[in-house]
Amino acid sequence: MLKIENTLFTAVMLLYFASMILYFVFIAVKNDKLSRVAILLQAAGLVLHTAALICRGIGAGRLPMTNQYEFATSFAWGLCLVSLIFTYRFKFPMIGAFSAPVIFLIIGYAAMQSREVKALMPALQSNWLGFHVSTAIIAYGAFGVSFVVSLIFLLREKMQDRSFWDRHVPEKEKLDLISYRSVCLGLLFLSFCIISGSIWAERAWGSYWSWDPKETWSLVTWLIYAVYLHLRIRRGWKDRSAAWFAVIGFICVIFTYIGVNTFLPGIHSYK
Amino acid sequence: MLKKIWKYLSSMQFAILLLLILIVSCAIGSFITQGQTFEWYKEAYSERAAALIIATHMDDLYHSPWFLVIAGFLIANLLLCNLIRAPQLFRRFKDEQKIDKALSESVTCSFHSVDKPGPVFAALSMPKPVKAEADGKKILFSSSNRIGLWGAWICHLGVVLLILGFGLGQMTHEDYSLYGVSGQSKQVGDTSYICSIDSFRVELRDDDTVSQYRADITVHDSLTGNSQAAEISVNHPASLFGYKYYQNSTGWAARVSVIKNGSLLQETVLCAGESLTVMDLPELILHFNALYPDYVFIDGRGPASASGALNNPAYLYTLYYKEQLLGMNVLMEGETITVDDYEFRFSEPQNYTILQIKRDRFTALAFAGGILTLLGIFLAFYLQPRKVWAVQENDGSWTVSGLSIKSSALFREQMEQAIQRSQNSNT
Repeated sequence: MLKIENTLFTAVMLLYFASMILYFVFIAVKNDKLSRVAILLQAAGLVLHTAALICRGIGAGRLPMTNQYEFATSFAWGLCLVSLIFTYRFKFPMIGAFSAPVIFLIIGYAAMQSREVKALMPALQSNWLGFHVSTAIIAYGAFGVSFVVSLIFLLREKMQDRSFWDRHVPEKEKLDLISYRSVCLGLLFLSFCIISGSIWAERAWGSYWSWDPKETWSLVTWLIYAVYLHLRIRRGWKDRSAAWFAVIGFICVIFTYIGVNTFLPGIHSYK
Repeated sequence: MLKKIWKYLSSMQFAILLLLILIVSCAIGSFITQGQTFEWYKEAYSERAAALIIATHMDDLYHSPWFLVIAGFLIANLLLCNLIRAPQLFRRFKDEQKIDKALSESVTCSFHSVDKPGPVFAALSMPKPVKAEADGKKILFSSSNRIGLWGAWICHLGVVLLILGFGLGQMTHEDYSLYGVSGQSKQVGDTSYICSIDSFRVELRDDDTVSQYRADITVHDSLTGNSQAAEISVNHPASLFGYKYYQNSTGWAARVSVIKNGSLLQETVLCAGESLTVMDLPELILHFNALYPDYVFIDGRGPASASGALNNPAYLYTLYYKEQLLGMNVLMEGETITVDDYEFRFSEPQNYTILQIKRDRFTALAFAGGILTLLGIFLAFYLQPRKVWAVQENDGSWTVSGLSIKSSALFREQMEQAIQRSQNSNT
């Protein structure tokens, strides 16, 4: 099973890479057909990615969500899933175009991690593991979409060739709305993630909150997006400023995931 | 002046400021190792930085007075905000179903000359519209998701309960630690409870990794004479007499025998890290440093264990006499150390368990806060109140209007699609 997973993982990387290149070409030559093929490649990548995760799960005899490699590949899967849903929901292929490099970077990071399957330590043997990590994956994916949409928002203003952007990128109000909706989804799932993690920590470690760096940075991320939502209500903070805040929020998400494990080891540092 | 302070304390501006301060504080706290001494910070950073860290309580940032004050202000801000908004929300909640209110409000979008309004309501998944009449005109009215108005309010209340539950729990919780091997009984802190470790086992997989730590314990209440027993393992704590018992950690222990002139003087089980004072010569102390279950000596590294299995146990010890170091060495199974008339021997290597015993009466309050926060976020984001109504004009056609304060752009688009679909089905 793990050999099949290895092969599928390579195929997924190639598909995501091809999709990213096609998106780039689509933006360069402004050919709509290319964007449709790129979306199809991304969707095919997602299907194989799902199969790869299932194979890993069967091969390891548990949910593939417990080390840096498994979480990175799941993170890329979540971002790809949420970006395709938003692309379809809002008929907006540029989400895919801007998500593709981020997905490729994350899966590239996964490829650099050890793929060794290790048995779970007792603290990780809990039914809460699947719920806690999968909610984090969806939350991170949604925040990733909000990040790319905000980037599009900020770039839209700078573009000189307006006709292409006007045709493929919705008006600012809608971009702001998509970013807002993805932050809402992300915040809801991040809340699920934090609360389920607390319940689990209470059972495993006897303390539902220990100010571990991962916990603290999840709270920081939650607070940043809470500020984003409150600022949007205040006049003058929608649009550009909110877009910048969504970008900062995602940088924080990445730090919570990679930075904390690298620089601030704690009880969440499962290598 | 007081009115101004009151207004500011309950304002969103103040809430945002507090959240930003919390973000920065939490981030700083994650970079500074918590709970260390001045000397430790001096070694790690510099003397000036260490002095600053201690002076500003950043060595225990999350329990520092200023952090608690910020949390207190946040509670006050959220409570005041909820208090002020409650009557307003209640009014709006009631008004959501009033047709005359809707007609007098500004709309998100309006569409004229619609032939049949019924399919528009259905396409927008609105409840069946109510029929009414105003100024001699027929009106169809429907409103949905008005409970969503309370989303932010419930979320704020949840956060308040969460902070209160956590804070009160921190102030009043009882936390004890206890360690021992199978067969030992120890008092739980300063309580009336005695915890007996009936058995403890480390379950290993084929590859020598730990699959589970399992302990059977019995707790006796020395006041009432009652007992309660349970099996505990990692992720499976047990509640006994209102205290929660957690299987926390493990270590190695061994039986130590002291022999004087050929006969047994004393015998006890020592956990690694513990010391034994010789009964009739208290100046002579044996300290049990560590146990290597599968002993190997690695050049350049010293004593180590090749695996976790008890294949070749060895004991690292230190001997003191009148507080002077006599010697430190590794002793193999069956070997003895001799100091004048005294002989020391290690045997029966075994795992000891470390249990954590806790009581936090406010955990339920914090979790209730968490659930309310989640519910509030869901209501606020996914049950957004919307109203749709249709007024029949004099020419028989209908004007369909809608109102959704949040996500108005999306609502407008959905209404456009619904109207389009309704017009297409007519043609």
